[in-house]
Amino acid sequence: MKETLLELKNISVHYGGVHALDGVNVSLDEGEIVALMGPNGAGKSTVLKAIFGLAPINSGRVLWHQQSINPVAHEVVRLGVSFVPQGRRVFTRLTVEENLEVGGFIIKNKPELNRRIREVMQIFTVLERKRKYKSGTLSGGEQQMLALARGLMTDPKVLLLDEPSLGLAPKIVKEVFQKIKEINERHKTAIMVVEHNIKSLLEIVDRAYILDKGKVITYGEPQALLKTDILEKVFLGKFE
Amino acid sequence: MDLIMQFIINSLIAGATYTLVTLGFNLVYGATKFVNMFHGVLAAVGGYTVFFFTQTIGIDLWVSIIVGIIGAGLVGFLADRFIFSTLRIKKASNLVMFIASLGAFIVLQAVLAMVFTSQFQSIVHSVDSPRVYEIGSAAITHIQLLIIITALFSSFGLVLLLRFTMFGKAVKAISDDEEVAKIIGIDTNKIIGYVFFIGSAIAGIAGILIGFDTGIQPTMGLAILLEGATASIIGGIGNLYGGIAGSFLLGFVENFGIWKIPSEWKGAITFSVLIIFLIFRPQGIFKK
Repeated sequence: MKETLLELKNISVHYGGVHALDGVNVSLDEGEIVALMGPNGAGKSTVLKAIFGLAPINSGRVLWHQQSINPVAHEVVRLGVSFVPQGRRVFTRLTVEENLEVGGFIIKNKPELNRRIREVMQIFTVLERKRKYKSGTLSGGEQQMLALARGLMTDPKVLLLDEPSLGLAPKIVKEVFQKIKEINERHKTAIMVVEHNIKSLLEIVDRAYILDKGKVITYGEPQALLKTDILEKVFLGKFE
Repeated sequence: MDLIMQFIINSLIAGATYTLVTLGFNLVYGATKFVNMFHGVLAAVGGYTVFFFTQTIGIDLWVSIIVGIIGAGLVGFLADRFIFSTLRIKKASNLVMFIASLGAFIVLQAVLAMVFTSQFQSIVHSVDSPRVYEIGSAAITHIQLLIIITALFSSFGLVLLLRFTMFGKAVKAISDDEEVAKIIGIDTNKIIGYVFFIGSAIAGIAGILIGFDTGIQPTMGLAILLEGATASIIGGIGNLYGGIAGSFLLGFVENFGIWKIPSEWKGAITFSVLIIFLIFRPQGIFKK
């Protein structure tokens, strides 16, 4: 029986009068890849933000190893959770190498930090060649790789990815998904990934949650979901 | 020729003085993106702390100087803790932050005037005449030379701190994207607190040196701030190198400007330069 690492219980997030999330239950077990899918405005990204305390939680609890936590961004990462936000958001004023260094900000031991940089660069060889480049000069795909690499600096047990395919060409998207799978298989990192609607993502995930209008509509193994017409219904706005 | 030498020296002194103000001003702007008017009064805090400890309590000058620098840093740090960080958490706009910093500036300036009177005062005993070095027929006082050296060391030290330490990289990361900086584990509020301390301490150094050179007055902060802010805007606000370049450019333009016109128009020259930059190169010298 796999242990549940991260769990959101009955989470509601309201922005002003808007209910971004309404009693959402989501969990992530060790070693698995879980997708959160749904149309724009479904609340997928808000789930990840709530875990990091970046969205105001009105009710419900966030559990880490069955213990309730008070989500504060700079402390959640110390538990072993990393967040790669939407739109890559690398530090453009810093070089590739410096981005990785600050990605390991919580590592206080310098040799350990350097060892992590080397390890992460072995996963993303493209970054090794461009280590001295300002990250603003990288292509979109390279920046996404850097954002992923930065997220891996702390050797997290859980990786949260918010739309890693956004704005990337289909070929690059495939590469990014392959890296995600590789990270999961080699390092046993549990991954929760938010995507709009990419069927190819379902090929690499263990489970998927389908969200619409701030609620979880259904969840299950991808094969089971693909057999139904729930995805089409949700994305075409036919779900009642 | 001799006159030119003196003008060059005066320009360097002015440039160095503005540099000491822009370093902290730009450091704070870089991390928080708001124009911190409070920065000006910290120069007066530095000057008056040294005045209080040497003249009133009678402590050793060097100890007083260190207390003055730390005191200015601490006042800046506390202003951030109690005013600016509270406003940041409430997601106050930059305009609100600007007004709040101006308000805090006026309050503290008034407190200084109440405690020390509005009179112009000298930190050193007036009987001590400053040592003067002669370069040809041009002259520079001991304190003025110290202003130039201190500006050089402060600039160099700050650049090294930002470039080679994890703290410096964290400051740049916050400057780039504060939310992502939090996500990767940086306690941004704490780092910004340190930024305020360092920036304010440098403003304190500026105030102490100006105090030794010309004397102190509770209202000294505004003039210093306006010159420093102008130099920062000319150089490219938030950019340390830009601030240094802007400071020396302003120093030279002001001092050579008063070659042919009376020196009381120095302020007019300063703000003419500012307006020219705002119209033709609002991003400053160093920003792309």
